[in-house]
Amino acid sequence: MTPNTETYDRRTVLKATSAGLLAGLAGCTRGGDEASESTPAEIDLSKYEDADIDWSQFDGASINIGAVQHPWVDAIKPAVPVFEELTGISVNWNVLPENQFRTRRQTDVSTGAGQFDVFFMDQVVNQYNHEGWLQPLDPYFDDGSLYDENWYQPDDLFEASRWQAQGGPYADGWTGLPITVEVQTQFYRTDLYEKHGLEVAETLEQFRENARTIHENESDIVGTVGRGQKGYGMNIFVLNAFLRQNGESLWTSFSDDSGLDTQGTINAVEWYASLLQDYGPQGASSQSWSDALTTMQEGRAGHIVSDANLFWPGLTGEDSSIADNVGIAKIPRPADGEFAPNAYNWQLSTSKNASNSKAGFLFMLFATSEPTNTWMHLNSDAAFSVRQSVWENDEFRSRVGEEFAQVSLESLQAAKPDPFDRKYPEWGQRYSEELQRAIAGQKSAEDAMNQAAATAEDAYSQ
Amino acid sequence: MSTPSQTKSETADSGLARVRDLWNDYLPYWFMAPMVLVMMTITFFPGAYDLYLSLISEPTMNVFAADFVGLQHYETAFTSGGAAHSFVITITVVASALLLETVLGFGLAALVAGVDAGRMKSFYRVLFILPMAVAPVSLATIGRIMLNSQIGVIPYVIETWTPLASPGFLSEVPLLTVILLDTWNWTPFMFIIFYAGLSSVPDTLVEASRVDGAPLWRRYVHVIIPYMKPVVFVATLIRLIDLFRTFGVVYGLTQGGPGTATQLVSINIYEQMFINNQTGVAAAIAIVYLVMVIALANIVIAKVGFEGVWD
Repeated sequence: MTPNTETYDRRTVLKATSAGLLAGLAGCTRGGDEASESTPAEIDLSKYEDADIDWSQFDGASINIGAVQHPWVDAIKPAVPVFEELTGISVNWNVLPENQFRTRRQTDVSTGAGQFDVFFMDQVVNQYNHEGWLQPLDPYFDDGSLYDENWYQPDDLFEASRWQAQGGPYADGWTGLPITVEVQTQFYRTDLYEKHGLEVAETLEQFRENARTIHENESDIVGTVGRGQKGYGMNIFVLNAFLRQNGESLWTSFSDDSGLDTQGTINAVEWYASLLQDYGPQGASSQSWSDALTTMQEGRAGHIVSDANLFWPGLTGEDSSIADNVGIAKIPRPADGEFAPNAYNWQLSTSKNASNSKAGFLFMLFATSEPTNTWMHLNSDAAFSVRQSVWENDEFRSRVGEEFAQVSLESLQAAKPDPFDRKYPEWGQRYSEELQRAIAGQKSAEDAMNQAAATAEDAYSQ
Repeated sequence: MSTPSQTKSETADSGLARVRDLWNDYLPYWFMAPMVLVMMTITFFPGAYDLYLSLISEPTMNVFAADFVGLQHYETAFTSGGAAHSFVITITVVASALLLETVLGFGLAALVAGVDAGRMKSFYRVLFILPMAVAPVSLATIGRIMLNSQIGVIPYVIETWTPLASPGFLSEVPLLTVILLDTWNWTPFMFIIFYAGLSSVPDTLVEASRVDGAPLWRRYVHVIIPYMKPVVFVATLIRLIDLFRTFGVVYGLTQGGPGTATQLVSINIYEQMFINNQTGVAAAIAIVYLVMVIALANIVIAKVGFEGVWD
């Protein structure tokens, strides 16, 4: 006899609840309908039909996409009718604010509801993979009807993007396909640099000296700004680059040595914390990326040490008071260190319980393909392509500016992104808290990093 | 001798009578039943489920498949989960903000009550109530900008109009900043209640004390405040419980930092749950918190409460 517990087991109950919740999402819109309000894309279908892929094998299917409110969504939506015409698959969007989306996504995959056929994926990728919630894409790459390597050109994807989409060192294959990438760059005030006869910094020492000069010689302008706020997208996104440029790495030996208490890491923390304390704004430890960007936009800082290239439009746009006086350069590195900026990718993944994973895979291919990427970047404000060919495209370079395109391209080619182990969000939060304490002057760099290392290693010892 | 039909009728009557007696004997309880049912559903069940989550290793609705780990999550919460620290921070914020809001709320209410001109009275009433209308997320967002040392208006005013140097509000004095912002946001609540309470003090009592020659402060200490005790008590109790639930403003403003300097229990629970995915630890902290708040509220009611409030 089947026990009653099976009738009302957790999976069934949560599945039903989640299905109801997800069906009722306020953000549900059909891609085609929404897209028709804007100008539909004029992409030549032959660019896709040339591929040795059976695009129409799921004709009549419908896929649900779970996404965060992100410029990528705005950029891809006008192209969705082309996908629908090409495949006969209709696309439904579930676009939510980031925190709400994370909760929905976790509910969807952990309960097996499988309402999202395709969804945005971030730092929790290897936690999801470890739990068995993600659908590995390698079998789809091996399916001749779904994938054509010559057409897709995977080598055109940046190495940093491919590496992160393959789970870094913590997964055996593709966990999704990258859709956006942002890489660390340096922004500086050309007028102030000219006024004080400064050279754009290539080393950390030169950068600190430039910050000092501006800080001490300008009233109401601080030498530098940067992310001090805790969170795994905040201060440690910046510091992890300096850590690697100092020859260290996260998890020197997984999972018993985090690499956070090494001398190179402590040096990186000391440099970053003292830079912000000495030449940054008061309260730098609480500054998020938006605070740093606004401070630069308002003309109240000399430069940003390392922030995402994506903020270039914000600094050169209408909202910026320094639009005509801002330059972009590669991030500085230690005098004897390696240039290795951090890069962060959003990717699209699908879950094991999604009913239309294969149709979703076709959407991923379409969305990340060269024709779609090129079209998006020539016809919108997008500047986050994961494909080198887009950054090398003359028309695109002309639109975004040669300087921005070249710095971004070279930085992306050399980027070393964070490897997200399955407990990264958990120990990363503690690590970022300790770094924030060091920036706030509450702790020495050594004490902070010793504590961060102990916390990270404890996470795996339990 | 009774006929079978008579017996049946009598039996039916007596059965009906028993039901009627049962209804009448327990009448108050029947009327209470729907509310008790609702309270059980919305209060007791979530609490019980939270307790259950705090005792099992991984969340599951199948009680028979659950792996009970005893008090392990409670131990983790207080050893590596930062629970003790967040309790200290919370109590500091609650005690300070409650004191400030009560004193300021009463002071403002007394000032407005003393204004003679009707229009001015209306103006002050609206002015002092306005901050309460600001949503926590908006307040946090506006607060972050206004307190920013480079682009914020508050540091600018301090630096420009006073000889003082502006502190780093969110980095050097984050706890004080959180307390002051909450005070600004919620003093209006105390003001409204105290103002209503002051309006209810009989004029004859105040007049009598005035005729007796009592100065203003004596009238407040010996006549008005004692008369308003129930109002003060209810207002502080409501605010006390509400302060323990503070989350949005502080999270939006500091995310509990720098480090964990402003990590209230509510923020710690959120981080354990949604960042660390430590459901059991989050549930354990929530249970301890719930027990603490209920105990505190009961102590306040028992020690400070008095006749006229709960009758």
